[in-house]
Amino acid sequence: MSEGAGTAPHVLIVGGGGTGGALAHDLALRGVRVTLVERGEFTSGTTGRHHGLLHSGARYAVNDEESAIECIEENMLLRRIAPGSFEENDGLFVGITDEDMAYLPSFLEGCERTGIPTQVLKPDEALRLEPNLNPDLKVAVRVPDATMDAMRMPLRFFATARANGADLLNWVDVLDLDLGGGVISGAHVRDLITGKQTRIGADIVVNATGPWSEQVARMAGVDVPIRPSPGVMLAVRGRLTNMVINRLHASGDGDIIVPQRALSVIGTSSWVVSDPDDLGVPADHVQRMVDEGSILVPAVLQAPFRAAWSAARPLIGSRDDADSGRELSRTFKTIDHAVDDRVEGFVTITGGKGTTLRGMAEVCADAVCRKLGIDTPCATRETVLLPHTAAYAA
Amino acid sequence: MSETRAPLDRERDPGVEEILRGRRQRAPVSRKLPGPIAWFDLRSRSTGHLAFSLNRVTGLGLVAYLYLHLAVLSQLLGGEDAWNGFLEVATTPLFLGLDVLLVFGLLAHGLNGTRVALVGSGFVPNRQKALFWSLMAFGAIVLIYSALHIFGGEA
Amino acid sequence: MTTETTSTRRLRVHRFKRGDDTPHMEEFDVPLGEDATVLEALRWIQLHGDPSLGLRHSCFHASCGTCGVRVNGRERLACVTKLADFSGTITVDPIANLPVLLDVVVDMTTFVAHYPDPHPIVRESGFLPEAAVADDLDGHERYEDCIECGLCLSACPVAATDDSYVGPAALAYAQRLLEEPRDDVDRDALLDWADQDAGAWRCHAAFECTEACPSDVRPAQRIMSLRKELRHRRREQGREVPEHAAGEEAT
Repeated sequence: MSEGAGTAPHVLIVGGGGTGGALAHDLALRGVRVTLVERGEFTSGTTGRHHGLLHSGARYAVNDEESAIECIEENMLLRRIAPGSFEENDGLFVGITDEDMAYLPSFLEGCERTGIPTQVLKPDEALRLEPNLNPDLKVAVRVPDATMDAMRMPLRFFATARANGADLLNWVDVLDLDLGGGVISGAHVRDLITGKQTRIGADIVVNATGPWSEQVARMAGVDVPIRPSPGVMLAVRGRLTNMVINRLHASGDGDIIVPQRALSVIGTSSWVVSDPDDLGVPADHVQRMVDEGSILVPAVLQAPFRAAWSAARPLIGSRDDADSGRELSRTFKTIDHAVDDRVEGFVTITGGKGTTLRGMAEVCADAVCRKLGIDTPCATRETVLLPHTAAYAA
Repeated sequence: MSETRAPLDRERDPGVEEILRGRRQRAPVSRKLPGPIAWFDLRSRSTGHLAFSLNRVTGLGLVAYLYLHLAVLSQLLGGEDAWNGFLEVATTPLFLGLDVLLVFGLLAHGLNGTRVALVGSGFVPNRQKALFWSLMAFGAIVLIYSALHIFGGEA
Repeated sequence: MTTETTSTRRLRVHRFKRGDDTPHMEEFDVPLGEDATVLEALRWIQLHGDPSLGLRHSCFHASCGTCGVRVNGRERLACVTKLADFSGTITVDPIANLPVLLDVVVDMTTFVAHYPDPHPIVRESGFLPEAAVADDLDGHERYEDCIECGLCLSACPVAATDDSYVGPAALAYAQRLLEEPRDDVDRDALLDWADQDAGAWRCHAAFECTEACPSDVRPAQRIMSLRKELRHRRREQGREVPEHAAGEEAT
């Protein structure tokens, strides 16, 4: 147990992405003393880099029912607790080829089963809504996708957590975990702002580092089944659509275009790496974004280049599970290492997507509070978040 | 909005306290150059900064001139001889050069001020660089004309 | 790295740690492809040169505004600035007129504090006006162009010597709120906020903010619009229009 007078337990969260921030917010509301450490800026890992899609879940409706249901529930919730953080313009799943049309029935059925509202549109209706679509489209299905600012929306969780007493320390790098007698009692860290090292003690350390989960887990002498699976994204100049545009087919490369302010972001691809810090930006993947993206919106071909980058998804699955990463589920998992690995005081929350950050935090916070003997229920479904600017409060 | 809670009944971990303490130390403000020297640093800056710098320099110059002018006029108190003595100095090439410099200052400051006034009233805010250079070109013509008269006119 | 060919570039990076360190420049030789960005180079240094280098980034595509730095003195977003645009040694400094947090990262607290309250950031889209809107939606929305990067404040010569100036970003933001009114925006309160010495009147029309802005916000033009609006309001209210409002430049 760590030092300190008083009765509120201390949880140290490692990882300042969306999950860490949402977890800090959840625990702070339950009266837990929270410290979060992040080696860079908040959301500088995978969270900030995604294209900003607030998933309707329709992409997973056919093959990953669990994820689809998680997505649509969290989608509706986030609009309520983070109002003003989304471009609520909906999205379209666009069918261009005969294969796409063959996918339509199972797609609609899957959405029906998972509770995702759909509206089937004829080509001319779709083109009226989005004039830049491929004029040869055969069908479009409207779904409640939305666009978020991938950094500023999660930052609201940080802002609210800070206001509720959590200490959110960015630019603090975890060098090692304090493991003794099968118990994790804290972490050795370096504050990059002063360059000095110190030790932080905690009752429970939570590993919320996304694709870096493996690296941090190793410090505790345990293994987590996480495969960092990067994908490339391409931003071109010009807001070519107001709605999110998806290709009506099973997951593939370059099958989504998300408007981001005055840019259009085309994503994504998928491969597997071992080092989440060294992803690379394969040129052939970038070209694939152009090729596939232009099938949805031909104007992509003329749009000037703005940026191309990679982000690593944290996919749950063992080493042997898959080769490209697309086959692995996008759901999330809380791992209590006391149960799985006989290491006390250490919990990993991993997997998931940007859209499910609050839901992931709830499940993890429930598990953490159970371990600490706290029975305060989760309050994040009803708590409206502070604006992102409050995260910078002195 | 969520309400802010009362402080938790638990001291911060000493490691966390140490980090927070470290961050409270003073940090320098990032500046290109210390203080007003930055006004005159044109490296990596555009037309607008040149206009700004010019206005600062000429503004300071004109204020300095004002004091000089008063000092000059105070020569009148010294009577006719003192004034005539001054006039001799005033017609030397150096002094005439300073007069030209004064005209330059008045033109630069006045015309740039005109640019600010026009742009602030909604006149071509998107072409303000072109406006600046046109006004400066006009000013250059007036300056050359003045210089010719100052140097070529009656002593 | 998007191409095969690599070249070695030298970067001179600003370093500072709070406490017993004094700000200084450190040089690194970075071997990356021709298409590499300043951000990729700085991350390479972090991974292979010095892991204590502090860097701020998030979105990698000029949408979050967190990676603002000065490259050879010019305000740029590191994630979309190519090394190939510069010759010789490339100097990377933090953006100006804000306290240094560490190395090339500044503390954005005061920048954000300058903004008027409240701070809605989603607005009417304005793009694709010919597009129809679905029945159950009011219109198309989008995020404000401004990504709160602070490049404008860094470039502003007034901000260089006056920390109380609210800055181009905050003023431009207020102007957009007036131009496109949204729910619960108090017009009068906003104009009162802008109508202060440290507000719209502090600008000297250098237009460096517009020059530096990576998102086409054009803050200087918006400040001019704001002034026009303030003058109208003052005249309507019968108040005396102060000298510098009429455009005469006071030193």
